[in-house]
Amino acid sequence: MSVMKRALLVCLAIALAMSLGGAAAMADTIKVGIVLPLTGEQAKFGEIEKRSFLMAAEEINAKGGVKGNKLELLFEDDTGKPDVGRSATEKLISQEKVPIITGGYSSSVTAAATAVAQQFKVPFLVTTGSADKITESGYDYVFRINPPASEYPAAVVTFLQEVVKPKTAVILFENSLFGQSSSKEFEEDCGKLGIKVLLKEGYNKGAIDFKPMLTKVKATNPDLVYMVSYVMDAALLMRQAKELDFNPRLFVGGGAGFTLPEFHKNAGDAAEFVYSATLWVETVVYPGAMDYFKKYQAKYKEDTEYHGAEAYASLYVVADALKRAKSITPKDVRDALAATDMMTAFGPVKFVSYEKKTQQNKLPTFMVQWQKGELETVWPKDAAKMKYVFPVPKWKERK
Amino acid sequence: MDVFLQTFVAGVLKGGLYALIGIGMTLIMGVMGIINLAHGQLMMVAMYITYVLHLAGVDPYLSLFVAMPALFLLGAVIQRFLLNPLLKADTILPENQVLMTVGIGMVLTEVVRFIFKSDYKSVTTGYSNATFFLGNISFSMALVISFLIAIGFTVAMFFFLIRTDIGRSIRATAQDKDAAVLMGVNTGRITIITFGIGSGLVAAAGSLLAPVFYVFPDIGGPFTARAFIITILGGLGSTVGAIFGGVTLGLAESFGATYISMEFENIIGMTIFVLVLLFLPGGFKRLTKI
Repeated sequence: MSVMKRALLVCLAIALAMSLGGAAAMADTIKVGIVLPLTGEQAKFGEIEKRSFLMAAEEINAKGGVKGNKLELLFEDDTGKPDVGRSATEKLISQEKVPIITGGYSSSVTAAATAVAQQFKVPFLVTTGSADKITESGYDYVFRINPPASEYPAAVVTFLQEVVKPKTAVILFENSLFGQSSSKEFEEDCGKLGIKVLLKEGYNKGAIDFKPMLTKVKATNPDLVYMVSYVMDAALLMRQAKELDFNPRLFVGGGAGFTLPEFHKNAGDAAEFVYSATLWVETVVYPGAMDYFKKYQAKYKEDTEYHGAEAYASLYVVADALKRAKSITPKDVRDALAATDMMTAFGPVKFVSYEKKTQQNKLPTFMVQWQKGELETVWPKDAAKMKYVFPVPKWKERK
Repeated sequence: MDVFLQTFVAGVLKGGLYALIGIGMTLIMGVMGIINLAHGQLMMVAMYITYVLHLAGVDPYLSLFVAMPALFLLGAVIQRFLLNPLLKADTILPENQVLMTVGIGMVLTEVVRFIFKSDYKSVTTGYSNATFFLGNISFSMALVISFLIAIGFTVAMFFFLIRTDIGRSIRATAQDKDAAVLMGVNTGRITIITFGIGSGLVAAAGSLLAPVFYVFPDIGGPFTARAFIITILGGLGSTVGAIFGGVTLGLAESFGATYISMEFENIIGMTIFVLVLLFLPGGFKRLTKI
């Protein structure tokens, strides 16, 4: 009997100690504001990023958090709309009094949200929103881990220079901030490479029939078709190009949609041999990249991709800045963030200013190609896992 | 010349699908005098039915026979329990039924999102990308089939409205509801049947669209807008008008994309809409008298 009682007492004592400990930890949390599209059309990416943030938070907190304080993530849904993103950011700053904000998926929303953060002087670490102008506004409280949209095709450019050497190109782009920004930059790259741009045309996201536009493109007979498209538009573009038996020397996607599994699922065999620029694949050389991919897969039973890696790395950068900050105030956290120099699963992070950009992270990009239903890294040579397939066989010559 | 012909073919084929989407709305608008702003969302539901059946190995063209009755029922239930009761309620707004359809559209979208998440789904079949060539002009097999089915349904609807008792009752209700009641037409029941048929027709469009497009909770909205434009183009309640309206919109979008720019696809549709309202109020129906 007495043994039982004693055991019970011990249990009670442990429970009490634990609850006290829990309470103490609760009192010392650092709030991190995160703006993401959790509902609406972009919710898929919002979800991947949210999960990756949560995974990073769990790991950081399990290792003692930031100077013994646990990170508390406050997610705000921007629904993919700039005005909602604005008010979400305002809420995080004025009501929750967060010392730092991260997230930001779509360029338009991020542009609106970062303007608010700058106005209130709260640091905003942009995870994804990639339109160039976000880090070209001279904001000293806005940092970006993701390379700007204009740098996505860096690897593509060297590939064209060294392997394909095309003479003419057509650029198709989604008529959004991201699409306009990327296509404009690629047009300039073409100018530098001496590639003649025969046609540059935008379209509205969600169109059913790209055939009239593709027919026009086919008639110009270009060597290269460069497309900046979201995932399902990308799939329809490739399917309909195949239906029209349109055979340029190569199709290249400018990031965004062409690397996602949904693209391949919808496009089927029309996806084969399509090239795309990308920022990150799980097979990159950065320490922790494959680790992150496997952990995500094990935890959520789904594949992740570069957006998730960005989010995962973002929180590590935030935690690192909070650790180094003299105090947990927006001003000191901003200064610490500016001095960031670390390695993450997404690559090295260091905020630099160059050309018109300020506090922008610089990263190399990669080129991938769909081969037998798998996305393979084919360029640059030192990162390539598979040899690129070029020239690409014509549609009718394929089995 | 090839560019012109290919653009023409693409426009007509897309127009056939548009027509099928438009017929359902024009019927509902003609009979009830309300715009069904949940029309595209009903199509989205049908596309998800097609998708689920596709997972179970059913061909999209066969799932037509499941999606259409299912949506007929859904439409009838919506009319019976959500729209008809509003007729009796006192409100300051006469268009409260229209507002109700907006709400229904949102609920449908969010329920589907809750079940299937915001994931893009594809219904890819062997013929999704199948084509045949006449000369240098490519014809998408799936769109040609859906075009023929759309024409078939339109002709069937035409004779249904002209020849059958229910069809005549529907037309009577559309022309003068009070007179129809006096003639012994159970207009409450007719509205339920009409909404059911309208939903069933857009379900057919959904099943036909699924293999050539993709499935997503938010795709309803743009199709509601297009159906509305087609209805105005064709004239309220006119099935033949819907075919003309659909093909006109399809052609306008295609030629706009080829000869102006695809960026203006939506603007072109809206421009035609405004022109028709200005110069041909009542739509093509005014020209044909059908």
